[in-house]
Amino acid sequence: MTSMQTPLHNITLPASVSDAGVVMREDKFRGHLNLRGNPQDAAFTDAVAQVLGVALPLAPNTSAEQGSTRIYWLCPNEWLLLVAEGTQGQVEADLRAALAHQHIAVTDLSSGQTLVNLSGAKLDELMMKSAVYDCHASNFPVGKVVQTTFAKAGATIYKCEDGSFDLVIRRSFSDYFFLWLKDASKEYGLSVI
Amino acid sequence: MSTKQDQCHRLEQGGRIDRSQPLTFTWNGKQYQGYKGDTLASAMLANGIKIVGRSFKYSRPRGIFGHGAEEANALMQLGVGKETIPNPRATQIELFDGLTATATNGWPSADFDLMEWVGKIGGKMMPPGFYYKTFMWPEKMWMTYEKFIRKAAGYGKASLEADPDIYDKLNRHCDVMVVGAGPAGLAAALEAGRAGKRVIIADEQDEFGGSLLASKQTINGQAAAAWAESAAAELAAMDNVLCLSRTTVFGYYDHNFLGALERRTDHEGMTAKSGSRQRIHRIRAHEVVLAAGALERPLVFANNDLPGVMLSGSVATYINRYGVVPGNRCVVMTTNDSGYQTALDITAAGRTVVAIVDTRQQPEGRLIEAARAAGIVIKAGHAVIEAQGSKQVTDALVAPIDAAGEQITGKPVSLSCDLIAVAGGWSPVVHLSCHTGSRPQWNDTIAAFVPGPSVQRQHLAGAVNGEYTTVGALQAGAQMGALAAGSEATTSYDCGDESVGLAQALYLVPHTKPVSRAPKQFVDFQNDVTAAGIELANREGFESIEHVKRYTAMGFGTDQGKTGNINGMAITAKNLGKTIAETGTTIFRPAYTPVTFGAMGGRDIGELLDPARHTAMHPWHVENGALFENVGQWKRPWYYPKAGETMQQALNRECMAVRNSVGILDASTLGKIDIQGRDAREFLNRVYTNAWSKLAPGKCRYGLMLKEDGMVFDDGVTACLDDNHFLMTTTSGGAAAVLSWLEMWHQTEWPELEVYFTSVTDQWATCSFSGPNARKVLAKLCDDVDLSAEAFKFMDWRAGTVAGVKARIFRISFTGELAYEVNVPANQGLYMWQQIVAAGAEFGITPYGTETMHVLRAEKGYIIVGQDTDGSLTPQDCGMHWIVGKNKDFSFLGKRSFTRPDTSREDRKHLVGLKPKDPTVVLPEGAQIVPDPKQPIPMDMLGHVTSSYWSECLGHGIALATVKSGHHKMGDTVYCPLADGRVLAAEICSPVFYDPKGERHND
Amino acid sequence: MLHIYCPYCEEMREEEEFSYAGEAHIARPLDPESLTDAQWGDYVFFRTNPRGLHHEMWNHAAGCRRYFNVTRDTQTYVIHETYKMGEQPSVTGEKP
Repeated sequence: MTSMQTPLHNITLPASVSDAGVVMREDKFRGHLNLRGNPQDAAFTDAVAQVLGVALPLAPNTSAEQGSTRIYWLCPNEWLLLVAEGTQGQVEADLRAALAHQHIAVTDLSSGQTLVNLSGAKLDELMMKSAVYDCHASNFPVGKVVQTTFAKAGATIYKCEDGSFDLVIRRSFSDYFFLWLKDASKEYGLSVI
Repeated sequence: MSTKQDQCHRLEQGGRIDRSQPLTFTWNGKQYQGYKGDTLASAMLANGIKIVGRSFKYSRPRGIFGHGAEEANALMQLGVGKETIPNPRATQIELFDGLTATATNGWPSADFDLMEWVGKIGGKMMPPGFYYKTFMWPEKMWMTYEKFIRKAAGYGKASLEADPDIYDKLNRHCDVMVVGAGPAGLAAALEAGRAGKRVIIADEQDEFGGSLLASKQTINGQAAAAWAESAAAELAAMDNVLCLSRTTVFGYYDHNFLGALERRTDHEGMTAKSGSRQRIHRIRAHEVVLAAGALERPLVFANNDLPGVMLSGSVATYINRYGVVPGNRCVVMTTNDSGYQTALDITAAGRTVVAIVDTRQQPEGRLIEAARAAGIVIKAGHAVIEAQGSKQVTDALVAPIDAAGEQITGKPVSLSCDLIAVAGGWSPVVHLSCHTGSRPQWNDTIAAFVPGPSVQRQHLAGAVNGEYTTVGALQAGAQMGALAAGSEATTSYDCGDESVGLAQALYLVPHTKPVSRAPKQFVDFQNDVTAAGIELANREGFESIEHVKRYTAMGFGTDQGKTGNINGMAITAKNLGKTIAETGTTIFRPAYTPVTFGAMGGRDIGELLDPARHTAMHPWHVENGALFENVGQWKRPWYYPKAGETMQQALNRECMAVRNSVGILDASTLGKIDIQGRDAREFLNRVYTNAWSKLAPGKCRYGLMLKEDGMVFDDGVTACLDDNHFLMTTTSGGAAAVLSWLEMWHQTEWPELEVYFTSVTDQWATCSFSGPNARKVLAKLCDDVDLSAEAFKFMDWRAGTVAGVKARIFRISFTGELAYEVNVPANQGLYMWQQIVAAGAEFGITPYGTETMHVLRAEKGYIIVGQDTDGSLTPQDCGMHWIVGKNKDFSFLGKRSFTRPDTSREDRKHLVGLKPKDPTVVLPEGAQIVPDPKQPIPMDMLGHVTSSYWSECLGHGIALATVKSGHHKMGDTVYCPLADGRVLAAEICSPVFYDPKGERHND
Repeated sequence: MLHIYCPYCEEMREEEEFSYAGEAHIARPLDPESLTDAQWGDYVFFRTNPRGLHHEMWNHAAGCRRYFNVTRDTQTYVIHETYKMGEQPSVTGEKP
């Protein structure tokens, strides 16, 4: 659909390198839904689990995953739901139906942010350049999710099974994000796939 | 052509230099040779270079004095042109081939300096407090003085060209941070590393080992330097240990946060071939082991600044580490046993020790015996009271002194020599500990300050804690490393007999003349502070050590008083009849050694300095020639000039397009907050001044937010999406602050209200098009909404399909014209913009930017929060009484402040319109407003111009302004006197200049 | 650079993630209209600004966006505790 453009559509790609130390891949047009509700209320958690097929992660900085749905804990009553492209409208409607009359909020953010995967041999050093948070494996196990800063922008960072990081970045900061990424990875080589 | 013979002070063998790798360098225009492994200082000494610069105030010749961070004299201007670096110490510059350095001061040269003569005369005229005393009056002379002083004083010069290098930063985290890789640091890191902890060990030198690299001791039977090498190798092999050499921990901040500067390529050349030249490691450590060592203290005696006077330990270091003997005939003056080791090293290097001058009356022990056995003359109970020579040491004047070190007890004799090695004892490097707010404590046993108690998780090991033996440092290091790691020490150490005799606490050496009459006895070399100067300061009533420091400028140089401060404090204590402990010490601030601005900036420079936020339509704006304005972090189109247009012409064209047909503005940057919950209305009632209880779905309302002091803080339109669902807009710059504000009230005061806030600023792209033809444009793209004025009124919103995209259409206006804001998910923002522009082409739809928006809204008298308000205006001051709800149940934020006497007085500044008397005039924004420009100064002030523009559609200038009692002064004439002498007259009027009845936007 | 324990994220985070939000435990008067000008002025403008222990609010702005309380020594910057909104400090400097 030509009318759709991801936040990172306007980037200028660096010259391609064969042995890039850092690799970036945008998970384009993923559905992003922000969910608010009371985790102490079983009526809420049960209904959400029913709709999503996976229980909300309730411990700080944790996540849950089921098929193409991934859930990030954001704060004690807030979660980010990452769902398959184009399904966010249906998921939102299903949640609203299942949670009718409860004190909840569902907000579609699929256009306001994007999911970017960073990997590569020089990933650790790139993260040290960019994030004040300690991304060392001893502090950042697989499945952990942390809302923090990335350079001078905000980011929600998630550690993937393969050791790479998924970052949620805001649309308006995406050009800055890429500018920073290009600069920080200059000495390692950056490949965009 | 340089040859090896030029290195007249180089030993045939020994040291850690590589004689097979000769390097050529240039000093003050002349070529010399050194070796791989040299510092610039060791290479200069090897070549017999004595004078390396001139002193700050008196322009006296100065030579290399130390061998590391303590060096106060040998400041270099390194490199030339854009690569040049001012003021690094020659003792810390690793030699590389082609290195070029010059003295940072001295004119016409460091060897022959004109200012020396000025200094010789001027010295008397420049006592401590000179600046305060002299430049207080006459005031107008300051410019003259300053020019003279700036030229004469100061050290190196920064390049005026852009730095060709890049610098970066890494955020590091560790369990144990070890500062210093001497014996204590190495032992600590070994323990913590073996315990499996994440360890970082940093040392400012090119190799780990610290004092061990110049030591002739053994550690567990192994030569000290070899032990250091194997320890460093073991650490380097551990995955959990990060070894940072050439890295200075320059700052120790709160909660175990440390800054460390790594010089990555400085030893290879002036600029980095790839990557960053220097890197700051921002380290957060769970535990810190400070093993920063100690610096040797000089003694204060007459002419002690002559080239050829050096620290004793530095002389030993040059011999043992660099294979350089700085002199051929040496007098060693010492207050402790360490001078004896230097004397033995000099003898071993085949040079002459004229005498060891020991200030103690009866020194005894292992090292004294060794010196005697080597046939060295020992003059116990003596001191060097004066160095003699014009540009370098030629003699040492030696006299017997009493046991207290206060009186000369016999006739001085002159000893011919070219080097005086001075061992005044050791000062632990308390600097880093001081950075955290810890006050050093005086330790009588070692006659020195050691780090005091700390609130941080900090452990001290080795010389920094006054433990000066190698074995003591190793053991303490092992213990503290294990403690920090929560483990048990795995290694014990044996270094043989290290016994030493008691040291004497001596600082100022007596002279045959009183301090005020003796030749200058220097305390601080960089700022030319003398014992006489400190005495004068004390006599003038400066008793607090902090005051003495500021009055004399002691410790103000780039060396931060590393060698001078303790002596200065001791002299002050003596003058005041107090102990040093009572007098106390100044404390040190970061940085331990200077850090380049380049490294401080890192990569946060240029376009990375601050994030530039872009809307979805940004590429279109760029392609269509927009100039941009910064609004918060956003880049917003400012205006879109066409070829040949001036800014004013472009604005006039854009304004008239909106007034006569249709214009389009990217309004995506407005803050947008999605509000859901059954108490959303109640919440809005509490944070806005007006009432929200009855706003129906499909309707919008303008709201004003106040702080509790009653002052306007933000404004915007909020739409009722559904009974329990609202979309709030905020100013572009205020979005984050408003969301935090709402969250704060909800989380801290009203958690019982069932409401959630989510930022959707980035989710929605907003195309705002405005003008009499706006409805026709929309009608071409949207057929599922009744756009008639009756069905879709001003301040309504509708869900609909625009150009095939599901959209929210708001009929709101900031221009005073018929206007629609089409909101679509930002992924489709650019597409929507393009569709509207295409649909509007037949009406000449004109993109316009923030400047045109400002003109249009000012014609309508709409305020911009933050431009027309500044946190000191109430809604009433702004003439917006209509928006303040009188009958709301809840006392909304800021309401109670309306009745405060200051808020309710009638003569507050009010926001009004100003119409210049001369219609062609545009008042400058910020211009002050007065009632009578002929009044004598200071004249009455009424307020200032907040917004001012040329209104093409009205044909005259318009302005908004705050004016005292302005609402009661309609029709009055006021004046703006300008800096250029013009006085502009204007009439106070309503701020609504255009369509006061609002017929156009209701159309 | 402070290191702050977020009681909601339940771990230490760097100061960059937080913003300061003023003195804690200042409740908004329930009925502002019944207060004298002096009482209202005290609430709006006056703060204790102590040298030593201080209870203050911080916002985990770049993290979970929660406000919480911190007991911090304004002289040493030592943080003695952090606690959730609605809770009371356990470190008060008063003798038990």
